[in-house]
Amino acid sequence: MARRYDSSTTTFSPEGRLHQVEYAIEAINNAGTCVGILAKDGIVMACEKRVTSGLLAPAKTSEKTYKLCQHATCTVAGLTADANILIDQARLRAARYQYQYQEPIPMEQLVEHVCNYKQAYTQYGGLRPFGVAFLFAGYDVTHGFQLYQSDPSGNYSGWKATVIGANNQAGKSLLKSEYKDEEAEGEADEGGIPGIAAALKLAVKVLNKTMDGTGASTDKMELFVMTLDDTKQCVHKILTDDEVKKIIKEVEDEAASAGD
Amino acid sequence: MSIFTYNGGAIIAMSGKNCIGIASDTRLGIQFQTVACDFQKVFKMSSKLFLGLAGLATDVQTLEKLLQFRMNLYELREERPMSPKAFAELLSNVLYEKRFGSYFVEPIVAGLNDDGSPFLVNMDCIGAPCLAKDYVVAGTATANMHGMCETLWKEGMESEELFETLSQALLASVDRDAISGWGAVVHIVTKDGVMTRELKARQD
Repeated sequence: MARRYDSSTTTFSPEGRLHQVEYAIEAINNAGTCVGILAKDGIVMACEKRVTSGLLAPAKTSEKTYKLCQHATCTVAGLTADANILIDQARLRAARYQYQYQEPIPMEQLVEHVCNYKQAYTQYGGLRPFGVAFLFAGYDVTHGFQLYQSDPSGNYSGWKATVIGANNQAGKSLLKSEYKDEEAEGEADEGGIPGIAAALKLAVKVLNKTMDGTGASTDKMELFVMTLDDTKQCVHKILTDDEVKKIIKEVEDEAASAGD
Repeated sequence: MSIFTYNGGAIIAMSGKNCIGIASDTRLGIQFQTVACDFQKVFKMSSKLFLGLAGLATDVQTLEKLLQFRMNLYELREERPMSPKAFAELLSNVLYEKRFGSYFVEPIVAGLNDDGSPFLVNMDCIGAPCLAKDYVVAGTATANMHGMCETLWKEGMESEELFETLSQALLASVDRDAISGWGAVVHIVTKDGVMTRELKARQD
């Protein structure tokens, strides 16, 4: 029955759904997982890298993590080609705001701009929606560190911790039980918010679950951390292979000893 | 008074041995009335690239912001720092786009290439570049500055000697120009970093 109402973006179904948008969201559920966790003094994002061929020679530093401006980075789940368009849009918007006001763009405004752009493809023109979901990590002086998730419909929401991409429901349920109670190495805040080190381990744990046992390794995972330096400027860091290996090992050891 | 001399100003950039220096006065005037003595005309675009802009003050400020915008996007997309040469080409294009309604500036691009060698360019207001291996000048006291630089500059100066030479050339030049001076700032750029010093200049 949905057949009649699902080939055009600009048509609601009788149940009040936009099928094209929902199909776009489905496309993302087959893509490499991304986890984002808001930590006490920064943000952690972890991505599953899907290496399709050993012969690939990548041109960019990452196919999952992209810097948008001095104080914001995003990770991508979905069609990379679609993502490239949106990332460029985000970069332009942030740079134009900075040019106009000589101030960094507030995070929510940046996210809303990208989302409004995506929304247009669900209402006008007969063009298909973008098959991308993003996790935006950023900092502004008004609200500090923030983590946002957006999907092809153009909806966005702010999160303390979330997962997008393949097996995101499994990831989310793990976060639900583990995010609040983290108190690793005395780095917890009053609200139980983990510190960066704890957040990194939690992110790896979530990826382990969503990749369901295909084995954590440095060439399959990419870890990103955003913090502030002493001059209140954002530091964007993609962890080196050695640093990732160390965290994977720590998680494995904890899991092994937890079983005792 | 021409539109290029409305606000006044003087900038020199010189090359040394694997280093460059760029210096400017800090006067902002409205014709003959001095309005500020801390007006920035030399801008650090990156640790190895400086942009000096002489001419109409509003265009100096606007162009700096515009080029910062363009450079930020370049570095995000290319994931690498912008070379002085690419920056100079970009600046030239930005200026020529306004061929029939130009920015009233005389820019200087001074930086170090990847291999540490100096890079100096000055341009006219519509982007015609002039590469130099010794020094470049811009502003309202260019005749004075050319005279000083031609005499004082020599090849292979190390950073301290370059600082002295640059400072003396600038100070002597602006002292003979009514609408330049009122303070000066000098930046010396080497592979190890930037040394910025304010000069004690005549406040007249």
